[in-house]
Amino acid sequence: MSIAIISAIVAYSSSSIETEKSDVRTHGTVSTTMGSSIMGNPSASITIVEFGDYQCHQCYNWFHNTKSSVFQNYVDTGKANFVFMDLAFLGKDSPKAAQASYCAEDQGKYWEYHNQLYTAQESEIDNGWANPERLKVFAFSLGLDIELFESCLDSGKYTKRVQYNIAEAKKLGASGTPTFFIVGPDGQQQKIVGAQPYSVFKQILDSMI
Amino acid sequence: MVQTLRLVFSNRFYIVLSSVIFTFMLIGLLVISEYIFFEPYLIGHIPQGTEFGFVLIVILSVLPAVVFPMNIYRINILKKSKGKMSGSVFGSFIGSVAGACSCGPVGFTVITTFGSVGVTALTFLTNFELPIRIGAIALLAFTYYTTVKSLKIECNIRY
Repeated sequence: MSIAIISAIVAYSSSSIETEKSDVRTHGTVSTTMGSSIMGNPSASITIVEFGDYQCHQCYNWFHNTKSSVFQNYVDTGKANFVFMDLAFLGKDSPKAAQASYCAEDQGKYWEYHNQLYTAQESEIDNGWANPERLKVFAFSLGLDIELFESCLDSGKYTKRVQYNIAEAKKLGASGTPTFFIVGPDGQQQKIVGAQPYSVFKQILDSMI
Repeated sequence: MVQTLRLVFSNRFYIVLSSVIFTFMLIGLLVISEYIFFEPYLIGHIPQGTEFGFVLIVILSVLPAVVFPMNIYRINILKKSKGKMSGSVFGSFIGSVAGACSCGPVGFTVITTFGSVGVTALTFLTNFELPIRIGAIALLAFTYYTTVKSLKIECNIRY
């Protein structure tokens, strides 16, 4: 009886995730199906997968200190592409912020919203900077259809998507944010834990090109 | 203050102890706060905007490295004085003076030294990383002040 109930729950969960995003996408051992869209050249031989939390201060540090150099030299030049996955665990507003980014994606502004969150981040976790009201204000400031955004966020449309990403992070042994997986052309994979400097990324990426 | 430091650190044992504490504290806190990484390569960096946190870590590593050996020195002095004074008519008098001059609560000093360090090490996930570090520094600075004072006024006079 209990097995049947569990199976039914699992089947329901799987089907509801599938209805939200149907294309299966894998980079090395990382299933990025439920992550962000691919930033950069989709056919690039290297993929950088970041597991992050919008309330994580080290993610903020990486976003502001290292990301631009990595993008300038590898993503913008087509050598690598980038996918963001949610490991939203630091506070109660973290999963909601991650869900909001996918609501923005519905309107074609995932990366703008992603950037907005990492620009607006405040040092104190759950101090209200990423509460649902503020998330709607960010959407409004980006010119999104606020009614659509609100209905998406309030309905919890992407709750399971974010949960899936968190489960994927745990499965891969990512216990903190940011954690990066750099997947090379021959399936070689390198894990980088923490907001490490550009020189580390350069060394790994150059060794894979 | 300088005389007290000279008094303690004239002994090589306390210099070695201080160096070990400083090194472990500094490396430990820098790793926890992601200024140093061991994997995939050994690398250290100070990201823009985190300079203040780095300075606090350095201060937080220096203070226990000074305060802890000084308190070990105090404990050794107390042990010696107890040995010398045992059976002496002055024993109880000296004991009461020691308590009054704060040579007594050495245990509290040690607890605060380790406690603040422990708390600081654990705060990297909290909202109050910097305020707690500042609080720990204030606590250690106070401990340093009371240690220097007691070594200078009471223990130093005795020896």
